[in-house]
Amino acid sequence: MTLSNQYTESMDDNAISKPESRHPVLENWDGTVGQALVEEPRMSARSVDVFYGDTQAIDNVSLDIGKNEVLAMIGPSGCGKSTFLRTLNRMNDSIDICRVEGDILLDGEDIYKKHMDVVALRAKVGMVFQKPNPFPKSIYDNVAYGPRIHGLVSRRTELDEVVETALRKAGLWDEIKDRLDKPATGLSGGQQQRLCIARTIAISPEVILMDEPCSALDPIATARIEELIAELSQNYTIAIVTHSMQQAARVSQRTAYFHLGKLIEVGETDHIFTSPSHKLTEDYITGRFG
Amino acid sequence: MDKMQFDKHTSTQFNAELEEARKNLMQMGGLVEQQVEDAIKALMDMDTALAQRVIETDQTVNSMEIDIDEECTRILARRHPAASDLRFVIAVTKAVNDLERIGDEASKVASHTLELADTGSGPQGYVELRHIGEQVRLMVQHSLDAFARLDADSALNVLHQDKAVDLEYGTAIRSLITTMMEDPRSISRALNVMWSLRSMERIGDHARNVAESVIFLVQGKDVRHKALEQVAAQVKKG
Amino acid sequence: MTEQKLDAIERLASVKQDRLNAKLKSRYARERRFQAYGIASIAAGLGFLVILLTTIFSQGLSAFWTTYVELEVTYDPQVLYIDDATDADQLRLADYGGVVREALLSRFPDVSGRQATRELTSLVSNSAEYRVRERLIANPELLGQSERLWVLADDDLDLLRKGIIDRELPESERRISDQELSWIDSWNEAGELKRRFNTVFFTNGDSRDPETAGIWGAVVGSFYTLVVTLLLSFPIGVAAAIYLEEFAPKNRLTDIIEVNINNLAAVPSIVFGLLGLAVFINFFGLPRSAPVVGGLVLTLMTLPTIIISARSAIRAVPPSIREAATGLGASKMQVTLHHVLPLAMPGMLTGTIIGMAQALGETAPLLMIGMVAFIVDIPGGFTDPSTVLPVQVYLWSDSPERAFIAKTSGAIMVLLGFLAVMNLLAVFLRKKFERRW
Repeated sequence: MTLSNQYTESMDDNAISKPESRHPVLENWDGTVGQALVEEPRMSARSVDVFYGDTQAIDNVSLDIGKNEVLAMIGPSGCGKSTFLRTLNRMNDSIDICRVEGDILLDGEDIYKKHMDVVALRAKVGMVFQKPNPFPKSIYDNVAYGPRIHGLVSRRTELDEVVETALRKAGLWDEIKDRLDKPATGLSGGQQQRLCIARTIAISPEVILMDEPCSALDPIATARIEELIAELSQNYTIAIVTHSMQQAARVSQRTAYFHLGKLIEVGETDHIFTSPSHKLTEDYITGRFG
Repeated sequence: MDKMQFDKHTSTQFNAELEEARKNLMQMGGLVEQQVEDAIKALMDMDTALAQRVIETDQTVNSMEIDIDEECTRILARRHPAASDLRFVIAVTKAVNDLERIGDEASKVASHTLELADTGSGPQGYVELRHIGEQVRLMVQHSLDAFARLDADSALNVLHQDKAVDLEYGTAIRSLITTMMEDPRSISRALNVMWSLRSMERIGDHARNVAESVIFLVQGKDVRHKALEQVAAQVKKG
Repeated sequence: MTEQKLDAIERLASVKQDRLNAKLKSRYARERRFQAYGIASIAAGLGFLVILLTTIFSQGLSAFWTTYVELEVTYDPQVLYIDDATDADQLRLADYGGVVREALLSRFPDVSGRQATRELTSLVSNSAEYRVRERLIANPELLGQSERLWVLADDDLDLLRKGIIDRELPESERRISDQELSWIDSWNEAGELKRRFNTVFFTNGDSRDPETAGIWGAVVGSFYTLVVTLLLSFPIGVAAAIYLEEFAPKNRLTDIIEVNINNLAAVPSIVFGLLGLAVFINFFGLPRSAPVVGGLVLTLMTLPTIIISARSAIRAVPPSIREAATGLGASKMQVTLHHVLPLAMPGMLTGTIIGMAQALGETAPLLMIGMVAFIVDIPGGFTDPSTVLPVQVYLWSDSPERAFIAKTSGAIMVLLGFLAVMNLLAVFLRKKFERRW
């Protein structure tokens, strides 16, 4: 018993006299840790700064999203992960005071260039939101809305096919095929969110952005969405912002950790969740106060 | 090293649970180390009472293994530890397993001591026995020390020590074989000594495993089944 | 420090229940008082409403009934001065008053003298001769024959029958002389007087004679005016609201516009009337007293109401719907037309109908543009001189004849009826178009 006490003491002594962290404060930040860039990027951000008026929300973020990969973005509230996600399909355009600097490329094309067509961009980069937000229309019309406004289909039968395929891919078809003309708002929360995903798939995007898609759902519905993300990642590039670290760990191949508008660390999800390199990442995913 | 702050979680309950697991592991380690020391002392002095005590202590060690494993399972289920916390829990379960085996080996040495005492002959003259015994005891101590201090460097030292012990074990076995060939009457005594040596070598191996767990815990690197030079290079890189 | 606080809380625990009970009692008392205030104010409001409604109904209900007299009318060509029954002009210009007079005199043969004859004829409405004329023009073969015909009684007779003129009063204080009373009683005994539903009230225009005055002219005038108001204010108001909410940049200019719209809603309506008079009539030379001008003025008046309600309806559309559509690549206009407008429509319609109800009840600005004139004809279009319901109420309430009191209340009831219908429509439309999200 005396020996064990000796060990206990020695560890406590050691805990007090710890060597200084490499990045004790963010002012001394010396760049993103890990592999922010990939070989075959679908979207790439280079030195992106985002300002809301005088406040800088994103500070010099460079990050690639590879083809058919699921990239999870995690970080504490207000760390800029959602803002960054929304710059990827220019959802921030509607905010007058929002200003984006740096380059964001989709398949090598700058999406913030002068004559970029935002409508065409959003047909390529779809988005799923935090709260399920189906239109107060029928289920069919919800899914058909995107193809209709973009004029993607010419005949009704073609549209029917698109709607069915999108609903099938979203794993919703079997549940709702008999009530396509019923209002979408009558579905459960999880079904509504899958409907929103189906609605996004229906315009055949290249990239799907998801902003905390499961935060309003129960665990079972969440599990179904996560399963769906795994299936979709075979055909689509997915960037997902999530507050649930377990979710990031479950669904993503790579994980990016944001803190105070900076991209602290990016890396393989396995690596980030077993042995992250940066102290801030470590503190966040282990639930420590830093 | 800078990331190993198990008392900084937002959840103080989580802090307490991890601390409890660590404390229990250290207690068990202390017990096992004492067991190893006693086993060697009993062998050297032919102290049957002490040997008997070593064997009895094994019960306590076994039940501690079960308790700590349960604790770790509970932490895994309820806290979903990640990163260093996850590595800590994994390292603890592995270390506990190895410590229990060390305890087993120590009681094996103790039962060989009892057999030797039955035949009425001590291990006199086998300096290797004392030497190797002392070395593996130090290995156990150092590996536990490394765990307590979360010190990858001293864990690496344990790996080096294990290599030395392995070499000495080979030499001792060869010299025992020579003895047995020269004096066949000593075979049964020599066999007991050999089994004791074998157990001590196994204790060294388990101490090495604990040290490897420490390196995994501290640096997040799996250094099992790798050449020592490679491991050393990795640990130095940090 | 912490321990002291803990101790304080522990000390509290021992006395908690007593203090809690004491406090609870006064809290309940306060809540009951508060409820009592609310109930009292509602009771007061209801009381006033009941007084208003009973006054109006007790006075106005009688306006929906009127008295008819049965006369034995002889279409005597001599009296009518008609020698050719096929001549339309002769039929039109013939002396039907004479026929009515003859019919009355033959009913009471002992009446003689100018004074008595005038008294007798005054018991029957002036409209009696028009009734006779209509009858003969429709059936020229009746010439030279006689028939029994129900004609409108004079308003004094009607009032007597309704008990508003008290026959117990001395003759000098009564509008009906003893002589007239005896004739009326004679009619009454012979069953030649009866009450009927007052269709005249709902089909005629205004008149100097209370028994022939109706509200139809005002109703039609109100209708034309409101059509103009609706057609102008709804599209303009909704378009302005959509632009301000969805498209306009948020800067000083739009702030000023917003403040001014809110101010306009509080401008006294008579100011709009003056503006209408100056701009529409004097400057643009539009006709006076016409529904088109009334509609324009009321449009000015209701626009702020509609814009404000439409804006708040648009603002109530959840941003998540906008985001969803934008995220799918819908353009700003598509987002607005496909999603925002349909969702805001119930609120907009409600606001519009409330604005219309306001316009329906408005008098002051219309006085300024001459819609207060005495107009007998039913207006046939947007430019015909006309009046509107509330102005009609105002006009009648100003008339000296006793019978107009009932007419005024009757018109108010009709106006209230229309307002109730419009508000019900608003509720119905909101229920119908309301979608949940």
